[in-house]
Formats: sequence, structure tokens, C-alpha cells
Amino acid sequence: MPQFESHFFSSLIFWEILSFGILFFLLYKYAFPSLLGMLEEREKKIKDSLDQAERHRSEAERKLKEYEAKLATAAKDAEALLAQAKERAARLMEENEQRMTADAERIKGDATREIETERRKAVQDIRSQTTDLAMMVAEKVVGRALTDGDHRRLADEALDALAKTYQSRN
Amino acid sequence: MEESPLHAFELHDLIPLVPAGVDISINKAVILMWVVVGLVAFLMISAAAARKLVPGKLQNMAELIVEFIRGIILDTMGEAGMKYFPLIATLFLFILFANLLGLIPGSYTVTSQIIVTAVFAVGIYGLSLVLGFSLHGMKFLGILVPPGTPGWLLPLMIPIELISQLARPISLAVRLFANMTAGHVILGVLFGLAISGGLLIGWLPFAFTIAMNGLEVGIAFIQAYIFTVLSCVYLGDAVTLHGHSEHAH
Repeated sequence: MPQFESHFFSSLIFWEILSFGILFFLLYKYAFPSLLGMLEEREKKIKDSLDQAERHRSEAERKLKEYEAKLATAAKDAEALLAQAKERAARLMEENEQRMTADAERIKGDATREIETERRKAVQDIRSQTTDLAMMVAEKVVGRALTDGDHRRLADEALDALAKTYQSRN
Repeated sequence: MEESPLHAFELHDLIPLVPAGVDISINKAVILMWVVVGLVAFLMISAAAARKLVPGKLQNMAELIVEFIRGIILDTMGEAGMKYFPLIATLFLFILFANLLGLIPGSYTVTSQIIVTAVFAVGIYGLSLVLGFSLHGMKFLGILVPPGTPGWLLPLMIPIELISQLARPISLAVRLFANMTAGHVILGVLFGLAISGGLLIGWLPFAFTIAMNGLEVGIAFIQAYIFTVLSCVYLGDAVTLHGHSEHAH
């Protein structure tokens, strides 16, 4: 086989090592850094994009949860507020009612008292006028004046008797 | 004209060069090496110069090759192996283009020279030994003892492993050389038949020649790939040593 002719070995070895060395140097210096860098850059870019998308997704999820929680809190708050308002309204109404009842009671009591006072005054008036009248009549009848004290005592006794009769009849 | 199918492998000194008693004469194989270097350097450097995020055709191809070799390295040696990327990639590109250019009729297949493949194989294997001993010291001899070997098997295992280690560079060199040689011998024989068969019957082996040439393109790729993968495996063995060293992954 011509490949085993050792005559060419030294030349082939020399040129192989030299050409391989030159090629290695050229590629090492001018081709691989750029090509590998580009590859890595692209990979990084893709990975970054994916990471970013993932980040955005989880953030969106988190926000959604946050909003849902907020919404739930708001609903609860609203409910609580409503309940509070209702309770307050009910309490106010009850208070009003109580106050009005009390007012009415008071007014009624006042009126009753006033009426009673008026009545008493009227009875007193009638009594004193009646006494005076009776004294006048008695003076005319008896013809002599009793002492004013006697008259009054007699008239009062008569009137008390009258009043007792009147009260027992009613 | 009848000629030996081995004729294609013959070399002739085109420009005799014998400085200091060392014959470094220029022959066809040497010229093809230069063509390989020029072509690979031109393609890869112009692809690298483009440097676009969305690559063009050339850049795409170069990136495909780079990605491919990176995949091989990561599979066999892990992340630590990327240190050897320039060496492995240059080796792959050199062998691939030498194989492919050899398929052009009238050119020469550099890798069909046993001495060329031997230099690569011995170089890679030698590098793996240097790396192994410099990274692990004498512990690197443990590569002769597969993990889990019982003590009483050592007298048997060590010679076997020693032979398998020695077979590595030889098989590496012979595999590439034999594949390239055999392919070209077959092509030569078929083409010889086509020539001698004349028009009447000669078209049949000629068609086979064309089909074989297509097959040889595939083999050119596969052999470059195999050589590269095995180089990575040998280097990886030396760097990681049973996969237990701090350099592993």
C-alpha cells in the first residue's frame, strides 16, 4: 500500500502539525470566541425571555390573588358597615321611641297635674264665695253679726259636710 | 487504461524541501492540508464575523457545527470539557473537511494516510495521558482498575485494561485511515470497471460509483464524528477519572 511508504512520513507529520496548529490558532483567535459567544448570547436571551415571562406570570398571579383578597376584604368591610348602620338605625329608632314615649308621659303628667291644680283652685274659689254668700244670708236672717271667725267656722263645717256628701255620692 | 485502485493513494514530491536533513517536501497531501486549513478558516472566520443575532446561511451552518461539537463535549466530558472546545472543534473540522475534499475527483484524501491519522490519534491520546497525570498525579493509574473490581481480579484486570488503553490510539488511527482507504478503493475499483466496461456495460458500475460517492459523503461525516467523540471520551476519562474527580461536571 502506498500509505506505508515511510519516505513521505516526515513531510506529512511536519505539515500536518503545522497546518493543524495554524488552523487551531486562527479559529481559536478569530472564529470560536465570537461563535460561542453568539450562541451563549442567544441562549441567554432566550432563557432571559423565558425567565421574564415566568416572572411576569407569577407576578400577575400574585396581583390577582392580592386583588381577590382585597375584594374579599372590601366586601367583608361593606357587610360589616351595613350591619353596623342597620344596628345604629335600629338603636336610634328605639331611643326615639323611648324618648317620645317618655315625653308623652311627662306632658300627660304635667297636664294632669295642672288640671288638678286648676280644679282645686276652682273648688277653693267656689268654697270661699259660697261661704261669703252664706254669711251674707245668715246675717240677714240672724240680724246680728256674728264674729267673722264664728261665721267662717260655721260655714266651713257646713261645707265640709256638703263636700263629704258630695264625695260619698260620687 | 488499467490502473491499480491503490494508485489514488500514491504521493509524489512536487517541490522537494529538505532543510537540515529533514524531508518536508511538498506533495499533494500537503497541498490538500493547506486547502483544508484555508477553507475551514475562511468559512468559520467569515461566519464569525457576521455576528448577527438572527444568523444568515453561513453563520447558521457554522453555529450548527459549533453547537454540534459543544453537544458532543457536554455529553462526554460535561461542562468542564468546554475548556477543550477549540481543540476538539478544530480536530473535527480538519478531519471532516479532509474527508470531504478527498471525495472531489482528482483531489487527495489526507486522512487516508495512516501517518496523518496516527499523528492525530497519538496526539489526542498523549494529551489525555498528560492531562490525566497532571490533574490526578499517580492516582491516574487507577484508570487501569475499573471501579468495583475485586482485589483478586487485579492481576487479570490490569493487563486487560492496559491493552485496551494501548488499543485506543491504534484503533483511533486505523479506523479513520481504513474507512477512508476502503471507500476510495471501492470507488477506484468501480470506476475502473466503468472505464474498462465501455459504453455497453460500463454505465452500471458508473452508476454505482455515483451512489458510492454519496455514501462516502455520509461516511466522511460519520468518521469525523466518531473520531471526535472518541477523542472526547478519552480526554474526558483522563479529566474526570471514573467520574469521581472534582472536575466532573
